[in-house]
Amino acid sequence: MSDPILNIQNLTVDFGGVRAVNNVSFSLTPGEFVGLIGPNGAGKTTVFNLITNSIRVTSGNIVFKGKSILGQSPDKICQLGISRTFQNIRLFPQMTAYENVELGLHNTPRYSLAEAFVRTPRAQRVEADTRRKAHELLEMVNLEDHADKRASSLPYGLQRRLEMARAMAARPDLLLLDEPAAGMNEDECEELIQLIRRIHDEMRYTMIMIEHHMKVVMDLCSGSRIYVLNLGSFLAVGSPEEIQTNPDVIKAYLGERRNGN
Amino acid sequence: MGYINTILILGGINVIAALGVSILTGYTGLFTIGHAGFMALGGYVSAILIKEYNVHFVLALIVGGAFAGVASLIIGYPSFRSRLRGDYFAIATLGFSEAIRLILNNAKQIGNLNIGGSFGYSIPSGLINVPVILIAVLVAAYFAHMFVTSQHGKNCIAIAQDEVAAEMMGVNLLRTKLTALFISAFYAGVAGGLMGLFFAYQSPSFYSITQSSNLLAAVVFGGIQSLIGPIITAFILIAAPQVLLVFESWRLIAYGFLFVLVMVFRPQGLLGYVEMNLNFIKVGWKKMTATKAPHGKAVH
Amino acid sequence: MDLFLQQLVSGISIGAIYALLAVGYALVYSIYNFTNWAFDAFMAFGAIMAFIAIASLAMPFWAAALLAIVLTIILAVGTERLAYRPLRIRQAPRLFMMISAMGVNLTIVQLMNKFFGGTFRKFPVESVQPIFIGNVSIGRMDLLAGAISFAVLSLLWLFLYRTKWGLAIRASSIDVQTASLMGINNDAVAVAIFGLTGILSTVAGVFYGIKYAVFPMMGTITIKAMIASIIGGLGNLPAAILGSLLLGVLETLVSGYISSTYRDLFSFIFLIVILLFFPNGLMGKSGEEKL
Repeated sequence: MSDPILNIQNLTVDFGGVRAVNNVSFSLTPGEFVGLIGPNGAGKTTVFNLITNSIRVTSGNIVFKGKSILGQSPDKICQLGISRTFQNIRLFPQMTAYENVELGLHNTPRYSLAEAFVRTPRAQRVEADTRRKAHELLEMVNLEDHADKRASSLPYGLQRRLEMARAMAARPDLLLLDEPAAGMNEDECEELIQLIRRIHDEMRYTMIMIEHHMKVVMDLCSGSRIYVLNLGSFLAVGSPEEIQTNPDVIKAYLGERRNGN
Repeated sequence: MGYINTILILGGINVIAALGVSILTGYTGLFTIGHAGFMALGGYVSAILIKEYNVHFVLALIVGGAFAGVASLIIGYPSFRSRLRGDYFAIATLGFSEAIRLILNNAKQIGNLNIGGSFGYSIPSGLINVPVILIAVLVAAYFAHMFVTSQHGKNCIAIAQDEVAAEMMGVNLLRTKLTALFISAFYAGVAGGLMGLFFAYQSPSFYSITQSSNLLAAVVFGGIQSLIGPIITAFILIAAPQVLLVFESWRLIAYGFLFVLVMVFRPQGLLGYVEMNLNFIKVGWKKMTATKAPHGKAVH
Repeated sequence: MDLFLQQLVSGISIGAIYALLAVGYALVYSIYNFTNWAFDAFMAFGAIMAFIAIASLAMPFWAAALLAIVLTIILAVGTERLAYRPLRIRQAPRLFMMISAMGVNLTIVQLMNKFFGGTFRKFPVESVQPIFIGNVSIGRMDLLAGAISFAVLSLLWLFLYRTKWGLAIRASSIDVQTASLMGINNDAVAVAIFGLTGILSTVAGVFYGIKYAVFPMMGTITIKAMIASIIGGLGNLPAAILGSLLLGVLETLVSGYISSTYRDLFSFIFLIVILLFFPNGLMGKSGEEKL
């Protein structure tokens, strides 16, 4: 059993009087793929925001690759190896699909400022290399044909794929996907499942996926586990089959059944 | 002839300063109405070096620019640090700019150096002519283009479009913003120095909010995320009023009006997101060298 | 010691004016997240309208002030509707809002410059004997300014914390989208906020005009109020007031003991130093970004 790559310990966050995340703990070993589900408002995206430190933790600890990352700036956390997509897509709207992906690759410029002003042969080689990798990533998510289109002009489904490519460009070890299947129909979900599976197999990321589309979650997490969050606390954790038949989970999603029915 | 000279030189100086503001506001999305302050700092420092210490004017301009750059970092560092993302920077640069102008206006001496206060500070003339300015503009435009097309520049653009997403994707906001700021202040400082060299004197009246508004106007009208747009506009904003002197007193009113209209109807300005493509220069050069072949055969 | 107390009094009286402006600034900033550069213009406009009402229309002081307030409210709300709302509903980036605001400011101030003239005018009120406490003189107008500022800010506090309207505004300042989902009319909130801005800037403008002079560029003082707001802590109304009084007093002390030339430089340096040690201002809370 290898060391956990991510270890969340007693994570809690309070917003004024509301406890959005309550004493959540879990850990992942490298290469695992887990799901995070729960009714709306359960706190799932908040957990992601806590991991990336967009929101400050009230108490608890987040240990990544053996070191606590509490209080690190979000860009530092990304450099350490955690990347994500967003619930409400946050692409760079006026940049092309290509440029969006490339940004992940040069979030820290790969040559010095002086070399930027006078583009040395080394800097040009670096740029060519970056260009190549960006195109590879676009191909991996099947967006190569749209490389030069403005991100804001792409259809919703393609934007979600682009966000994934950009997140991958940041060279993560841990990839957080926030509702990648949102707004997709049956066929698109099927394509997405294939894509995510391929990404996980080829890139060997550790991944956490928040999702509402049950088919997508159950399919991708078969053989692994799913965490269920409700009102900020963990309700259950288990395999897809276990979760699907767990009465507490069903109740949380569907609400109490009326008397006598 | 001297009249056209004046337009070309002043226009060129404005272009250089506008390139700086373009990098900061057009490419990195940071509002500034205080760059006249950096022009003043660079202008006076270079003027003092030239007059009192006989420094060669090119070196003096660079040192002046560097001074302005360092000052900008002192303002920028605390302004950009806070996670509250307030408009600290815009307010601080405005405060700085006004403070500098008032001091220069009222203080006749710095130490035992007489800088003339509101009467101005005269320096040797005759160092600036159109070719010099042309070279300066070309150099400035070249380096600006190199910066905005580099990975450093692209990070600036990401910040302008979605700062939060950029940070989450690993871009260090503070470092990137300070880089853009330093460059923009340097450009402004050099422009201020050139101004003094042209007029053969420095005066605080050069560096009022009107000057800062001029620069902002060049970027707003010329275009966000474009160099060629502000270059053209910066030049026109200097050249046109000279021709339409009658409208000079309406200039700021027109700016104000146009700022609102542009933002409401066409925020990207004239040539927003349109980039200088050096290709057309390469093609033109090829054509020129081809026709100049002595034995009439096309040479490539 | 007397000199010190005199400076203190002077500092507090300018601080009171800053406080009115700082609160106006902070109100707009906390909800719309951008700096309303046109605030400058509103203040000058209010003062000039009052001046014209008294000097040319021979209105009594209170009527003139009231008229000025009404006119400035119209100006402020009109500005919001024409120059900010179109951008707000598109969720335009803060940079665009600020450019538009600066545009409004330039237009209004320069129009006033053209038609009212740039000379400094003395506000047409009789000068009265100041009150003496020991050897320290306190201008009656300053006392009045202080009292009215206090009254206005108290009324504002009551409005924000004890009425339904105020609750709606406070909710909007936390989360505009959720607030509108809860049935709060964003446009109505905008009218209320900018109306309040109009009131605050006019009162400040009139008192500033009485204390110093009336002229189109008088609004440049608002930069001090913005600095004060940041020093206190952005997004926090009591902090804005604290920052204003603090800045007013310290500034006046510098001006009195060192030199008035360096007063503005001091404010600027003070801002930088505070930000270095208190990145969120003295009383500021750090904000969170909604993802």
